[in-house]
Amino acid sequence: MVLWVASRSDVFKKNMIRALFFALGILLIGSFLDPYNQSQLSVALIIFIAVLSITLLTGASGQISLGQGALMAVGGYASALLILNVNLNLWLAIPLALLVSALAGLLLGVTAARLSGPYLAGTTLVIALAIPSLANRFESVFAGEIGFSVDFGNPPHWLDNLIGEVGIEKWQLIVTIIFATIALFFALNILNTRTGRSWRALRDHDLAASLQGVNVGRSRIFIFMVTSAFAGMAGALYGLRGIVSPSVYAVSLSLSLLTAAILGGIRNISGAMIGSVIIVFLPDWIEAVTSRFSVPTRISDYLPALITGLLLVATVVLSPGGLSGSIHHKKHK
Amino acid sequence: MTLEISHLTTQFGSVTAVDDISFTAKASEITTVIGANGAGKSTLLRTISGLEKPTSGSIKWSGNELIGLKPEAIVRLGVAHVPEGHAVISELTVAENIAMGGLFRRRKNRADLESASKEVYELFPRLEERHKQLAGTLSGGERQMLAIARALVARPQLLLLDEPSLGLAPLVVEQIIATVNDLCRKTGLSVLLVEQNAITALGVADQGVLLSLGKVVADRPAKELRADATLRAAYLGY
Amino acid sequence: MNLFLSAFFSGTARGAIYAIVALGLVLVWRGAGIINFAQMGQAMFTTYIASTLIISGKSYWLAFVIALIAGAMLGALIDLLVMRPLSRVHRAEALNSPAMKAAIPVIASLGILGLLQALAGMFWAGQERGFPAPVAIEGLIVAGRKMPFTAFDIFTIAIVALVLVLTSLFFRKTGTGLAMRATALNQEVAKLSGIRTTQVRVLSWIISGAASSLAGLLIAPSSILSPTSLDLILIIGFTAAVVGGLDSLPGAVLGGLIVGYVISFVNFYRSPEDIFLAILILLLIVLLVRPNGVMGSKQVRRV
Repeated sequence: MVLWVASRSDVFKKNMIRALFFALGILLIGSFLDPYNQSQLSVALIIFIAVLSITLLTGASGQISLGQGALMAVGGYASALLILNVNLNLWLAIPLALLVSALAGLLLGVTAARLSGPYLAGTTLVIALAIPSLANRFESVFAGEIGFSVDFGNPPHWLDNLIGEVGIEKWQLIVTIIFATIALFFALNILNTRTGRSWRALRDHDLAASLQGVNVGRSRIFIFMVTSAFAGMAGALYGLRGIVSPSVYAVSLSLSLLTAAILGGIRNISGAMIGSVIIVFLPDWIEAVTSRFSVPTRISDYLPALITGLLLVATVVLSPGGLSGSIHHKKHK
Repeated sequence: MTLEISHLTTQFGSVTAVDDISFTAKASEITTVIGANGAGKSTLLRTISGLEKPTSGSIKWSGNELIGLKPEAIVRLGVAHVPEGHAVISELTVAENIAMGGLFRRRKNRADLESASKEVYELFPRLEERHKQLAGTLSGGERQMLAIARALVARPQLLLLDEPSLGLAPLVVEQIIATVNDLCRKTGLSVLLVEQNAITALGVADQGVLLSLGKVVADRPAKELRADATLRAAYLGY
Repeated sequence: MNLFLSAFFSGTARGAIYAIVALGLVLVWRGAGIINFAQMGQAMFTTYIASTLIISGKSYWLAFVIALIAGAMLGALIDLLVMRPLSRVHRAEALNSPAMKAAIPVIASLGILGLLQALAGMFWAGQERGFPAPVAIEGLIVAGRKMPFTAFDIFTIAIVALVLVLTSLFFRKTGTGLAMRATALNQEVAKLSGIRTTQVRVLSWIISGAASSLAGLLIAPSSILSPTSLDLILIIGFTAAVVGGLDSLPGAVLGGLIVGYVISFVNFYRSPEDIFLAILILLLIVLLVRPNGVMGSKQVRRV
């Protein structure tokens, strides 16, 4: 393991630097924002982590899952249960929740490895719907519709002493930046190394890949496990905003993630970031515009959903590579 | 009603399957396109019938430019293509396969369609016997007959036949080729016959076009090609 | 015994509806190579249209027919505005791995679903509505005995049976039906036979659109109508199509009935909460044991 790490030290170093720049950049931006927008930025980062799971699963290895929201739910419930029942703090709970999600990913992968195309899409959609209803079914364990209340806790005293009073939103941002950076680091390492190449081989020519000795089934399962870990991390963080309950992880979440992935560009990490920012801030931007005119509530309520749906369809038809895809396209014309 | 091909080129990525081909297939004659495997013969037919898009050149049939037209439109101009291999739909019955060939003419001329079906069954009595069977249960020779029947029921003026002998016993091949030859002489149907089996093809053809690696090597009356021993040895292996 | 009969009849009625949903999915799958996840969104939208007509005083049957026509038109619109441009883009784009090619239309259909739900929210303020039935949906009393089924159950089964007979006749006995079957089985040979395959494709969307409207109209009386109320039916319809075999029209009907019975018996003998789990388990079993469905054909992978 150490040898493996050492042999890739160049790539690792590069990726670590990239990730650190990312973290510092977001921190800087965050320090200029008001608390509401800091909170929104945290959500964007959480969505970013979740969308990364789609970037890796669909963009890099060509498998489609409409149920990433369900995997987020697994992470969310796992971490909530660990925090509330076992009294762990989030720094322990989240990595453990990650492992639980990876396990769920293993199960999903075992089922899904034999499926493809519409069968995979439909099955993952069913799972996305099933998980929340499971929470209702086993109410004693999962607290049904009400769910659990959890939160990010308070910033440690030494931080307060160091940089002055840290508000809740700022603390939230700091925590999510840390996890997002870790996620980014891992994503970079996966995509820019031999692992990434073999995943892409799986996507484009799985028959050829298997003829070349790649164990397609096992690789697929592994990919599901890894990407589920990403989703689980995001789900745990998502729950820490306040509630873990079935409605928090509804199908609409899975669809929003997919929309963010497609809009931003499903093939690369910058696409994931772009898409996440758009999906999270779009309702705010729309409201900023509609509040200028007197728009009836029935329209303004559904306007974000309408625009999101339109953007998704338009992106898929006009530029399936998403925003980052079309920029890439233009650069290389 | 001639088929004029000029400077036709069809490429797949970096592979040029049809390379600057020009020749004319005269009306009511059998023109055979022969050559070794990979010579571009099938691609040529698929380009004519509209399944493949050429990179350049022109295909004129009865004065109409075929390039740029969809296959459905080319069929309506009287060109029928019997592709090699899977030219029938196994899950449909013999009768349905034949009916399928005549669907586009149904609205205009039902009566003629019915008589065309009858004629086609007379041509291939084995098909009439099995007209309720699923096409997938027929023998190779019967399937080939069905494919040709499907094309003929639309009363085409030009028949594009792609390797009808593939995978069939010599006796069956003879039968089928003889039937096509008969049809040409009796009804004036123009035939563009692609064949790997050059002996059989040159035996019935009027004109022979020899292809090698996508290019035309010879374009001569079939009699001459039959007699030219050097050419035969070099390109056709006998 | 009474419980069993109630479950059985309820299962038959619901199964009939799921058969129609599955039929719509299979039609578009065979005709256009896409799983249309927006299908129940179309159903919801056209049912709202019908509901608005009925509320404003028009007769049930007028609303019924208009909903079917609206469904057909909506289906055609989706093909012309979204799916057709999509297939053209495909050939040009660099996103040409087989997995992405399959994924993109699915994602597009999800986008359409979201669009339809947002539009329904805007037009009808996301209002939850009831929906009337032409006949009673409560107990039916014949000769003084309470029947284990309702008049609406009979109505549903009768309409679906009629539609199935008509559809079957259409596909087996008409030229257009033959053209559609041929195109679904082997597009190249169909084209070479002069069949206008693009027209056939739009027709698949049109028929499927009408079918989904019908399903919506039949489901609505026994549940609330809201922009998201039919989402569950999509999952059920998908499962039914997979159980029966995505490639097979008769399979869709069989799958619908099977799922209908499973859900009904789970509902009556256990609890409504378990329905979801039952569907999931059924889906997984079929996918693991017989992925091509009960009546599906074995597909050979071309290298």
